This record gives sequence, C-alpha cells and structure tokens, in this order.
Amino acid sequence: MVIKTPTIPEIQEAVKAQPRLLCRAGGSKQALSGADGSVTLDVSGLSGVLEYQAGEFVFTALAGTPLLEIEKMLSEKGQYLPFDPPLADAGATLGGTVAAGLSGPMRWRYGGVRDFILGVKFVDGEGSLVRGGGRVVKNAAGFDLPKLMVGSLGRLGVLVELSFKVFPAPQATRTLRVAFGRLEEALEACLRLAASAIELYALDFEPPAGLALRLGGLEKALEERSRRLWSFLGKDGELLEGEREARYWRGINNFGWAGGKPLVKVALTPKKIAGLEAALLHSSNPLPSSTRRYHAAGHLLYMAWDGSWTELDTLLKTQGLAGLVLAGNPLSPALGINSAHPFGERATRALDPQGKFAR
Amino acid sequence: MSKEVLQELSKLLPAGRLLTAAAALSPYQSDALTAFKAKPLAVALPESAGEVIETVRWCAKHQIPFVARGSGTSLSGGSLPIDGGLVIGLNRLNRILKLDPKERVAVVEPGVVNLDVSKAAAPFGLYYAPDPSSQPVSTIGGNLAFNSGGAHCLKYGMTSNHVLGAKVVLPTGEVVELGGESLENTGPDWLGLFVGSEGLMGVALEIKLRLLPKPEKYHTVLAAYDSLEKAGSAVAMVVASGLLPGAMEIMDSLAIEAAEAAVQAGYPQDAKALLIVELEGETLEVEAEARHLSEVIEASRAYKVQIARNEAERAKIWKGRKAAFSAVGRLSPDYIVQDGVVPRSKLGQALSEIEKLSLRYGLRVANVFHAGDGNLHPLILYDGRVPGELERGEELAGEILKLCVALGGSITGEHGVGMEKKRYLPAMFAEADIELMRKIRQSVDPHELSNRGKMFPGGEAEALVRQGLHPLEKRGVISRE
Amino acid sequence: MQHKIPVEKLGPQGETMARAVEQCVHCGFCLPACPTYQVLQEEMDSPRGRIFLMKEVLEGSLKPVDAEPYLDRCLGCLGCVSACPSGVAYGELISSYRMHQEATRRRSPLEKAFRFGIQETLPYPARFRAAALFGSLAKPLGSLLPKKLSAPLELLPSALPAARPLPELYPAEGSRRARVALLAGCAQQVLRPEINWATLRVLAKNGVEVVIPKSQGCCGALSMHTGERARALAFARKNLEAFPSDIDAIITNAAGCGSGIHEYLLLFKGEADFDKAAGFAKQSKDVSVFLSELGLLAPKALHSPVQVAYHDACHLAHAQGVRSEPRSILSSIPGLDLVEISEGDLCCGSAGSYNLEQPEIANTLGRRKAANIVASGARLVATGNIGCITQIEAALKKQSPEFRVLHTLEVLDLAYREILG
Ligand SMILES: Cc1cc2nc3c(=O)[nH]c(=O)nc-3n(C[C@H](O)[C@H](O)[C@H](O)COP(=O)(O)OP(=O)(O)OC[C@H]3O[C@@H](n4cnc5c(N)ncnc54)[C@H](O)[C@@H]3O)c2cc1C
Ligand code: SF4
Ligand code: SF4
Repeated sequence: MVIKTPTIPEIQEAVKAQPRLLCRAGGSKQALSGADGSVTLDVSGLSGVLEYQAGEFVFTALAGTPLLEIEKMLSEKGQYLPFDPPLADAGATLGGTVAAGLSGPMRWRYGGVRDFILGVKFVDGEGSLVRGGGRVVKNAAGFDLPKLMVGSLGRLGVLVELSFKVFPAPQATRTLRVAFGRLEEALEACLRLAASAIELYALDFEPPAGLALRLGGLEKALEERSRRLWSFLGKDGELLEGEREARYWRGINNFGWAGGKPLVKVALTPKKIAGLEAALLHSSNPLPSSTRRYHAAGHLLYMAWDGSWTELDTLLKTQGLAGLVLAGNPLSPALGINSAHPFGERATRALDPQGKFAR
Repeated sequence: MSKEVLQELSKLLPAGRLLTAAAALSPYQSDALTAFKAKPLAVALPESAGEVIETVRWCAKHQIPFVARGSGTSLSGGSLPIDGGLVIGLNRLNRILKLDPKERVAVVEPGVVNLDVSKAAAPFGLYYAPDPSSQPVSTIGGNLAFNSGGAHCLKYGMTSNHVLGAKVVLPTGEVVELGGESLENTGPDWLGLFVGSEGLMGVALEIKLRLLPKPEKYHTVLAAYDSLEKAGSAVAMVVASGLLPGAMEIMDSLAIEAAEAAVQAGYPQDAKALLIVELEGETLEVEAEARHLSEVIEASRAYKVQIARNEAERAKIWKGRKAAFSAVGRLSPDYIVQDGVVPRSKLGQALSEIEKLSLRYGLRVANVFHAGDGNLHPLILYDGRVPGELERGEELAGEILKLCVALGGSITGEHGVGMEKKRYLPAMFAEADIELMRKIRQSVDPHELSNRGKMFPGGEAEALVRQGLHPLEKRGVISRE
Repeated sequence: MQHKIPVEKLGPQGETMARAVEQCVHCGFCLPACPTYQVLQEEMDSPRGRIFLMKEVLEGSLKPVDAEPYLDRCLGCLGCVSACPSGVAYGELISSYRMHQEATRRRSPLEKAFRFGIQETLPYPARFRAAALFGSLAKPLGSLLPKKLSAPLELLPSALPAARPLPELYPAEGSRRARVALLAGCAQQVLRPEINWATLRVLAKNGVEVVIPKSQGCCGALSMHTGERARALAFARKNLEAFPSDIDAIITNAAGCGSGIHEYLLLFKGEADFDKAAGFAKQSKDVSVFLSELGLLAPKALHSPVQVAYHDACHLAHAQGVRSEPRSILSSIPGLDLVEISEGDLCCGSAGSYNLEQPEIANTLGRRKAANIVASGARLVATGNIGCITQIEAALKKQSPEFRVLHTLEVLDLAYREILG
C-alpha cells in the first residue's frame, strides 16, 4: 500500500497509525524504497526550498525537493553542492540522498554529504517531529543528529527538512584521463596524487587501470596547473574540457556506465581495491570492469552486479567489506560484513521503540 | 560509598595511579572554566585501553558516575568532575599507535595532544587539519568529544570531518568500533553521533584520524582597520567574492594589545581591528587567488595591509592570534568568554552592537574570533573585586547572547554546552528535540554515568563549589540547578 | 582566577603571590612546557596544578605538607613562564611561596642534614671542592649508598680539575673598550675553572678590562630557590658590598647566577636596601648579552667545519629571555654550523640543586635531553650554564661518550685561539 503524505502532519499521522512503514520520494534508489510488504509513505510531495541566502552559503529545503531543483538554484549564484550527489537526473531528492548516504566523485575535494549537512527535522518512530543541528555553518549545541541521519535508510525516522552549507563553485574545471599498463601502476599513481599537494576535485580510479582527474579553480591558473599535473604523472592522457567534460561527469554520476544493471555502493580503502578486483573477476558472473567506478581515491565504489546476491554478500565478507544495494532486488540491501553493535541497536530503539521502520 | 568498592578499583590500577588524597584531587577540580569546581571521589590514571575498560566496568558495576578528562581545557565545564564521581585522566594514553602515510591515516590514543599528531605526520608532508587555539595542549579525545574547531576549519571542517573511526567503551562497559578507515560508510553514521556528544556516551579509546597533505603554499594577509565593523564587513565581502580561504580571523584592539604583550607578533598597535585571511593550497592557484583577494581587501577599506613574506612571518601572525585568548588574562583579572555564532553577513552589525553595549555598560569587551564562520568569542573584562562590575559583566554577557540568537545564530559554535550553557539549550531546541536526545543518551547510558549532569538542563549532582554565581546564571541564561 | 588569599597576612611577597594566582586563567598552555608534567602526566605536577595547590594552601583550605611533594618536584625552570600567554609570574610565585613556607616547614633529620649539606657546601667553592673531591673518591661506592646520596655522585667527574685561582684584575688587550666586574660563580669554579678563564680571555681580546672582586660570594639563588630567604639575603648583601661601582656592567657567565641576581628585585621587596639591590640587578648581564651589545671581534674561519648544537639553559632562556645572543655569538664563527635541539624549551633536569634532590625525574629529563642532543647530529653542544653542563655531560656519557659539552664562551675562546676545528 502506498500513502501519499505531502505534509508533515500527514506524515506524523501515518507514522502513528501504521505498524510498519517505508519511505519513498524520488524512487531513484529502488532497492532502498521498493515495496517490502509494509506501507510505503510517498513523501515526494514534500518539496520546496524554504530558505536560501546566497551570501551565507546555506540553504534549507524540504526533504522531497529534487536535487535538480537545488542544483539549478545554486548554480544561478555560482554555488554548488560540494558532495556532488548522484542520480540527480533520475529524480533523486535531497532526503533520499541523505537517507542513503550518497556522495559523488567531487566529494574528494571537500567531503561527503555528512560533511555538509547542518540541520535536520524528522518524524521519529513515535510520530514526534524533532529537530537537530542548526542553520548556521557552525553549531555545537546538542547531539549531532544531522550526521546520524546520513545513511540511516529511513530506519531512524522520516526526514522532512534539511539544512546544508554549500561552497562557491570552481570558476572552471577540466579533466584529464590517463591510462596505465597495470592496475597496480594506476593505484600507485592514485595514492601518490592523494598524498601530494595537488588539489583535485575528483580523483577516480577506473578499472582496469585508468585514472580520471578533475581539476578546478580560477580559469587563469588552470592551464599551468594541468601542465603540472601531467608532468607529475609523467604521462600523457586525454583532456576533457567545456561541455564535453561536464557531460562526462554527469554521465558518471547518473550511473550511465552501469547499463541499467543492479547497482551497489561499497565503502572501502584503496588498499582493498586490488583484492576486490581480483575476486570480482573470478566471480561466477564477472561483468566488465567498465561497470565499476572508484571515487575519492578509492574510498567509494559504485558497481554494477547481476550475479546472485548471496554470492556478492559472501564475496564482500571475504574482503572484509560492507556494501549497500541501490538498485536490484536483494533480500536485504545491506551486504557484506555486519557491523551491528550495541551502540547502534540501543540508539535505534530510542528513535524507533516499536520498530516501525525496521525491515 | 564503601571503602571496599574503591579498594576493588585500586586493585585494577597499580599504586600511584588512583589518586584519592586531597592535594592530588584539588588540581583536578576545574577545567579551563574555573568558575565551576567540584571535588571528585578519586582520579584514575590508566595507562592502557584495557585499564580504561576495566575502570569503566567498575563504574558500571557500582553505578559510579565518571568523567573522561583530557587536558582539561574545556571552556564550558565539560571536564568538570562530578561530585563524588570518578575522573578518568587519559593523558597517559598518549601513544600514536599507527601512522600510515600512504593511506594518510593515523591511529591514536585519546590522550595524544592535537599538535603532536601533526608533528608526527610532518616528515611525510602530512598534517592533521583541525587546529583549535588550544592545539598545543588539548587532546584528541577532548577534541572528539567537543567536535572542536579552529581557525583553519573553514575549508575542511571541524574534528568530526577528520575522524574516520573510533573504538569506544560504552558506559555499560561494552566495547564497540564506530566507523572505520574509509571516508565512506554504509548505514547510519553512528560515529557522527558519538563525535561531539560531550563525553555523554562513553570513552573513546582509539581514534582513527584522516591526515591531509600539507598545503603547498600559504598566503597570509594581515589587514588593519580603523573600526571593528569594517573588519566584519570585510569578512562578508571575502565570503561573497567566491574565494574560499583556509582561515579568516578577527581581533579587536584589546585583543591586539594583549597578544602583542604576550608574544610580540608585530601587529599594528593603532588598529581598531585586525583581519587575518589565509589562502592555502596549490601554489599556482593560491597565487591567482591572492590577486583576487587583494582587490577585495582594498575595497574593504583596510588602512594597512601586511603580507607574510615567509614561514617565520606567518608563524608570528598566527602565534599572536592563538595566544590572544589566554593573553587577555593580562588585561584584566577576570573575564567571561562567550562562543555565540551569527550569520556571517551580520558580523559587522553584531560587532558594532557589541561595541555599543560595551560602552553602555562601561566594561571592556575584547573580541578574538573565527570570523570566517561567524563564530564570535567576546571576552567581557571585569574586576571581581570592584563592587558592581561582576553584575554589569553578567548583564552584558546576557545581552550579547540575546543579540546572537536574535540575529539568527547559535549559543555555541565550538566550546560546547557542557555545564555552562545547559539551561540555554531550550532556547535552541524544542522540548521534543531535547527529549529525544535524552532518550538516545539513556538508551546508551541507562544510569547516566558518563559525564552525568552535563549538556541537558537540570538533574546534575549537587554540592558544586564555586566562587560566586556565574554571570549567565544570574541572568537566568544558564543554571546548575 | 578568583581567590581568597589573605594578602595582608603574607608579608611583602603576598601581593606578588596573589597577583600571579589572579592572572592564571587555567588555560593549560603551560602544560607542554613543563618538564615534570611531561614526565609524570598528572595535573598536580603541572604549573597550572601547582598554582592551584599554592592558592589553596595560601587560602588555608589545604595543608602545606599535603602539597609539598608536588611543589618540591617543581624544577623552577620557568618553562611555564615562557609558555604562558597570560603573563603569570610563576617564578615569583614559587620563590615567594617557598620562602614563605620554609620557615614553618617540618623536615626529617636526614632531609635536614642533606639540605644543610647542600646549603653549606655548594655556595662555597672551597668547601664544595673538598666535598666534591671526597665524592669523586667515593664514586666507586655509589652503588652501596642509598639513592638520595648516590645521585650526586653520578654527576661528579671522576677527577676534579686543578684549582686555578683567579686574579683580581685581568687587563684588556689593546685599547680598552669597557671595564666590567665578573661574578665568578660557586660550583663552576670547582667543576670547571676553565669557563672563567675562557671568559677572561675572550673579554680581554675584545678590549674589556675585568675586575674580579675578591670578597664576592654566592649570588644567593640556591638559597632563595629552596626557600632560605635570610641566607639568600645575606649572600646578596655581601655582593652588594663587594662589587665596585666604577664599572660598565656586572658580568655573569652562569645562567643560574645571572637569573638569581635578577631576582633580587623580588628578594629585596620590602627591604630598606631595595634600591641598591635593584641597581645591582640592572647592571648585571649575561656575558653573551654584554658581548653582543659591545660588538664582537670576528673570529678567524675554522680550519674544518664544526657542527655545534646550542642548548638553551632555562635560566638564560626562560628566566632572562636570552636566546638569540649566544646563538649569534656562535654563528659568528665562520665554519661553525649551528643546529637546534628538538624539545629545546624543555629543562635538562639540572635546575640548581634539583638533580640532587629529585634524582629520578632529573635523570629521566637528562636522558631525554641527551637523546634529543644526539639526534641533532652535532657532536659538540654549547650552553651557558655550569649546571646544565654537568647534567648533560653525565647524561651523554651513557649514550654518547665522545660528545663534548662546552660553555658558549669556551667555544668562542677556542675559536679565537684557532684550536676549535
Ligand atoms: C586558551 C584556549 C583556547 C581554546 N581554543 C579553542 C578553539 O579554538 N576551538 C575549540 O573548539 N575549542 C577551543 N578551546 C576549548 C578546548 O580546548 C577544547 O574544547 C578541547 O577540545 C578540549 O580538549 P581537552 O583535551 O582539554 O579536553 P577536556 O577539557 O579534558 O575534556 C573535554 C570534554 O571531552 C570529554 N573527553 C575527553 N576525553 C575523552 C575521551 N577519550 N572520550 C570521550 N570523552 C572525552 C570530557 O569528558 C569533556 O566533556 C580552547 C580552550 C582554551 C583554554
Ligand atoms: S599558561 Fe599561564 S594562565 Fe595558562 S594555566 Fe598556565 S600559568 Fe595559568
Ligand atoms: S618552573 Fe618548570 S617545573 Fe616548575 S612548574 Fe614551571 S615548567 Fe614546571
């Protein structure tokens, strides 16, 4: 059953009335919002920007506001969402992005969604409307509930309103794609770059052995900075600029490369990449490496998968990794190692004592 | 409490590491907010994570409240002992357990001093970014508990943005791992909840920190203004220009005077306000930005602009800024520190209002603060021995706080609620918000053992000893009930 | 910090003590600078903690004897003073406090005998020489003695240099540029008479005539820092008489003595001859400061380059603020490569008679300092204080026996004589 709840009181009402609920807004991460037998709350109607002061670099919007709308509003003032959330073209909303905890390639420069969220309003498991954080860029009062909500998958409450800080967008960007002979070589260069003083907006590893490097900043310094990047790598590559460059990243951040296959997010560190790549190649249904994309110097992987979920679950466990299915139909979207702990379990119970959001 | 109970703890900690004598306890009775004092039952000085765990389990078993303590530099009474409770002094857990330059991760014990992390990382061209002014003293454990910020937190954020993971002993004695080594995670951000929880949810035992490559180039500008308001407006202009400096700090004439006396930083002495703006990053980019910045500073009507020509000059500028806070102790026997935040576009207005208030109350107010994020630190100077000054100081402090809230800001940017601002929490949050936070705390710490009586209004231990009412308490802004 | 110290009841130093307590904002910036805190990592053994303890004793809420163990461990190195942004005069506080407490303090017979021994020997070169000679002979027996008595032995060289009495006047070479009087120091005359001779030669070479008053004695610092105010005053007065007035400066070449004299302002507070003592203090200068002001005759280039690490003696750097002058003297020697020692602000553990009274902490600090010096890469360390020289030599002997520890002026003297490198 789907209930449309375009207002906060309606959401509160629904939470109080229903025994089990799941939230959906844009529906762009189908595995996280798909029907599981419980009642679906459609909050896509809860949309709109409540406050935006360009001079302050902060805004507050309702949770169902589409990312596209926010990006448009910001770019008119030369600003952007530094955590570069994915799936904007697929209709992703601000709330869904926070609940799923998703950031994109440019998170490398200044941080992910957790690093930019300032405040949150949500309906907890008992139907109360609560607020955490604030609307100014710095605030140390109370527990950091806004951060907690990042990646909460709707299990801790229904997000209704969110405040973010934003940054000035780089005046210009350009991208260098470089291919290496072997995976190890590419990873080595990736780590070297990550520890260097060269500041990149995106530092992507493209298996089997490529890097995509996005530079940004003042137009006049960009030419010389890219020459420097080249000489740092000691290698030539393909240069992307202008509209072509923007299209390239837009495609990546909307997962065009996954070919519509089920999609998984994996959190990892660079040293795990080689092992994981090997394991994936040896899986029973290996997909081409072009259906995987490592962002943030190898801390964030988005990958397509169309084998069995049990197999991927085991594979990730063996690698000591945890994953989250974004699109597909697994039994549970959480894969790989189980990091449940009493701290999380107890705090979850405080937020949702009757287990209404459990799945 | 019976003798045997304490005896049990003394079996866990070798002689000399469980302090119970009056003279040994006395120096632990306050943090950097000496207006509050309390005598603990004892001070435990564990030397390993194992000993901390055992100590917390002992507290859990006997339901004895405890406070973890780093270097005791909290300005809000955060590490104030609990009357009759245990202080767990973590300074001896000061080892850097791992430093991986390739992955840029450091794993440290909670008693490691902030600056020591950067020192250890320096040979690899790395550093630990959050830089509270107390960084030569304050510990990573304390920084984590308070989500401390610093001058250089504009670009890369506060402590929370640099902690990747933590091993924590919960108030029940269970040990959990929060976060990991990756910048990303799947599932709720439990680590994010723990960081900044002011020691109310257990003790961090091991902390994984992200290290950043040291910026290749700094461009440090010191601009002098003939009014505080102009400096405040300059900050708004820099922010609006689309530049993203690493730091933006303001000091007013009193702070300049104090800092100059303390460390001879070479600040222009006739300035009404100084603005420090620092660009950091790739040389080529910073050089281009610097040209842009100088136009903005010029337009802001600074009457004198000084640019650090080398690392030594830069260090001098920063030394003055970082010492300014304590240096104000030179100007006055007593002062009250506030930590309010205002929207950056309202800085100029807030500062001129404060100036007017200062005149009206006949008390000097020194301003040294993180201008880039609108985080004010007004220091109200008074002499407690002069009849009436304390009372005037109290009123003035209250007026400034009211001003911050009226301008759409917050009561605290980084010093935390602790003991000092607990009663003010309801001004920031509705009852339901606070209720939920309390529920979370109680689910993790059912007996409220961990730093009992802090952050939430009411309910704290009795018999706190202090000299005279805190100004804000008299104003009815805070209370210890 | 607010306090309830009964200032009126505490005599001339009461105001000084109260002012220091008042000025402390409890910020903790002094913690990293404090050697005992660095070693012990506990609040009672930090400057901030000690200020709290003294405050409570002075207020009457804590028994002095309870605070003693922690206050006794303070080296008086004044590292905290350099580090304190708030300008807390910790040195004045602890010296006044010690003088104030010593009168009523109970000590065990062994402690008394030990302190009496120190007070009655160290300040008197002849007695100290006799005791040290005996000590040198007794060195092999060290392991048989209780810790308290064996510690001083470890610091003694295995043989004492021959005594070389100083002349009453040492003339300038060439035309006279200045006339000064030298405070010869107590321990240094016995442990390393060469320092004074090197000082005289260097001054003479720079055209300075030096008077060495015969009737001078100990500056009184040792007594003052251990709380023996009356004894300290007696020593100081003796010097006020002994030194002539027709001089450009009183020269000290032991940091401890130099800072001791500067503390006459505190010692004489409330005394009739305060002005005289203040004048004396104003006239005295560390030899490195005097030479820098005078303008140093440039030494010839060294035959082969030498790396020298400079160690800041606490009583020069923290107590007198003298840091750059000795360094510029050393770097004025062509071919001398001056290197810094990490944790340079931290005391070596010598601190007057501290290494005799608190040998364990002193040893830990000595080892730490020695390790930092060795890590500097140099094989020669220069400093401006005999106490540091003895302490560092003893500590280095265990780690790196080939090391040379010299007074800054000895280095300069060797350079003038073209036998440094
Ligand atoms: C002069 C001065 C300047 C300052 N400047 C700044 C500034 O620029 N920015 C800023 O943010 N703050 C600043 N502060 C405040 C203070 O330094 C910070 O709050 C700092 O993080 C406290 O660290 P600490 O080690 O002293 O912790 P403490 O004061 O000992 O403890 C602080 C809190 O942390 C808890 N805690 C300590 N260790 C742990 C642990 N391992 N696990 C769980 N909880 C723990 C304690 O219980 C307490 O609640 C300043 C303070 C002073 C005195
Ligand atoms: S640095 Fe100075 S003001 Fe701060 S605690 Fe130490 S003595 Fe007190
Ligand atoms: S004088 Fe030295 S030992 Fe004593 S408190 Fe100060 S820094 Fe510590």
